Amino acid sequence: MATLILDNGAGSAKVGFSTDSEPKIIPNCVTKAKNVRTRIFIGDQIEDCKDLSSLYYLLPFQKGFLVNWEIEKQVWDHMFSKDVCQVEFNETTIMVTEPYFNFPSVGEAINEVIFEEYQFQALHRTQAPTLTCYKHQTDKETSGSLFGTLVVDSGYSFSHIVPFYKNKPIKEAIIRVNVGGKVLTNHLKEVISYRSLMVMDETYVINQMKEDVCYVSTKFNKDMGIARLKAPENTISRDYILPDYTHIKRGYVRSQEESAKAKGDEQMIRMNNERFGIPELLFRPSDVGIQEMGISESIMHCVSLVEEELVPHLLNNIVLTGGNALLPGFQDRVFQDVRSMACDDMDVGISTPDNPITYAWQAGCDFALDPSFPSVCVSRHEYEEYGHSACLNKFNVS
Amino acid sequence: MADKRESVRIKDGQQLRVLDEAARRRRQRKALEALEEDNFSEDPHADLKMSKKAPKFEEAMDGSGPGPKKKRKSKGDFKLRYRKTFAALLEEEHMLNKDGPSYVTACAPPSKLPERHFCAVCGFPSNYTCVQCGARYCCVKCLGTHVDTRCLKYTA
Repeated sequence: MATLILDNGAGSAKVGFSTDSEPKIIPNCVTKAKNVRTRIFIGDQIEDCKDLSSLYYLLPFQKGFLVNWEIEKQVWDHMFSKDVCQVEFNETTIMVTEPYFNFPSVGEAINEVIFEEYQFQALHRTQAPTLTCYKHQTDKETSGSLFGTLVVDSGYSFSHIVPFYKNKPIKEAIIRVNVGGKVLTNHLKEVISYRSLMVMDETYVINQMKEDVCYVSTKFNKDMGIARLKAPENTISRDYILPDYTHIKRGYVRSQEESAKAKGDEQMIRMNNERFGIPELLFRPSDVGIQEMGISESIMHCVSLVEEELVPHLLNNIVLTGGNALLPGFQDRVFQDVRSMACDDMDVGISTPDNPITYAWQAGCDFALDPSFPSVCVSRHEYEEYGHSACLNKFNVS
Repeated sequence: MADKRESVRIKDGQQLRVLDEAARRRRQRKALEALEEDNFSEDPHADLKMSKKAPKFEEAMDGSGPGPKKKRKSKGDFKLRYRKTFAALLEEEHMLNKDGPSYVTACAPPSKLPERHFCAVCGFPSNYTCVQCGARYCCVKCLGTHVDTRCLKYTA
C-alpha cells in the first residue's frame, strides 16, 4: 500500500509519496491576484500567474493552527488531484504533521476530513520535529546511540525548541517562540513602507527580497557600525531592484559596481541595517516589543527544564530545521549564543540538514518504512468503529 | 518690554499633548497585531459579484444533478462544525485546562536580557525617547522626521 507524506506547514505544505525522492512544495494558501480577476490560484497554481504584485492571500492557518477548512480543503483537493499527486484514496495511508499542542478539535477535524471526506485507508498524525529527530538519529547511527536530540524548528508562524530523550519529545520542556517567517516579512514590509517605498501590499515580493538579502548577524554591534558608514566602506548596503513584471520578472540585488553608475527607471530599495536587523527578531523578539525569549535564550531555558544528565547530550546534538534555518549565518549565530551561555565543560554541536525545509518530509519517508509504522496508524475500519478515541490512543499528540 | 519676553520652550511645553501609558500600550498592541496580518488591503475581488458581467457559477452547479448536490451538503455541515477562530480554540483549551503542558505553558517566557532600543525612523541604536508618544529616536534629524510623520498622527 502506498504511503503519502504530508508535512502540512502553515507557510508551505510538503507533499509526496514515500517512494518519491523529493516532495512537492506547495504554498498552503489560496491566492487572488489584483490583475487577474477571472480566477483564483490554489497552492502552486500561483506559478501560472505572470504578475505577482499585490497578491491577496487566503490562509488556512491562524497563528500556526489549522482553522479555516474552507481554504485548506481547496488546497488539499488540488494536492491530491492528478495535477499534483494523483492519490488513490482507497489504497493509500497518509501521514500528516501538525504543531505541538495542537488543539483537540483541530485534530478531530483532521481525522474526520482524512477518513470521511477523502476516505483514506489509514492515518498517522505526528509533528515535524518528531520526524526530524527520527531521521537525525538514524543518519547519525554510526556515531553511537544518541540519548538526546534538540530540534529547533523555525517555520512560518513560530519557532519550536523541542528536546528529545531518544525518540521521545519531552513535552514539559517544549518552548515556542512566537516569531517566524511571517512576522519577519510583515516587519520588513512595515519598515520599508515607512522608510522608502509603500510596499504593504507586496507580501510576495518582500518575502522574496527577505530571502535574497537578509542574513543573521554574528557581530550585531559591529555590523551596525559598518552600516552607518558611507558608500565604499559600507560593505553591508545592497540595492535591491524590484520586479515590475513586464521587463523584470523577479527582484534581484544589483552589484555594487553597477549601483555606482546605473540609474535606470527601475524601482530600487536600498537595504542597509534592515538586512540583519529584521532577522534579529528571531533572537531578540523584544526589539519590537514581543516580550519573549529569542531562539538561543529559549534553548538555554529549555535545557534548564530537563534532567541534568541529559543536558550535555542535548547541547551537543542540536538540529536546525524550518525555512528560517536557510538565512545565512543562522547556525553560526545559534552556536555563538549557545556557546557563550552554556557551561564551558559541555560541548556544543549544531547541524543543519542540507535542505532544512524538506528534511522532516524526508524523515517521514524513512519512518514509513520502519517496521513499527503500521502499529501507530489508525485504519479507517478502526476509526469507523471507535471514532476519535482510536486516534487519541495511537498518536503521540496533544 | 521685559514682561513681553517669554520662553518658546515653556510656551510650547504647555500645549504638548502627551500620550498616556494606556494609549502607548494600545499603540504597541496594534503594531504587534499588524505583524500577524495576512493582508494589508481588502480582498481585491470582493466587489466581483456586483459586476453584472461576471457569470453566476452557483446556478450552473446547482442544476448538475442530485449526486454532487448531496455531497456538497455534507461538506457544508462539517465546515460549519469546525469553524472556530484561534481565539475560540484557545478559550476551549482554557476550559478543558489540564495540569499538563499545553499551548499556553509552552510559550517562551520574557527575556532576561535587557531590552535594546532602536530608532523608529532609521533603525540604528537609539538613546532618546520622544516625550509625546514614547517612540525611540537617535538624533535631531530623525526626531524631526518622526514628529512630521508618525508622532500622534495616523497610528494614534
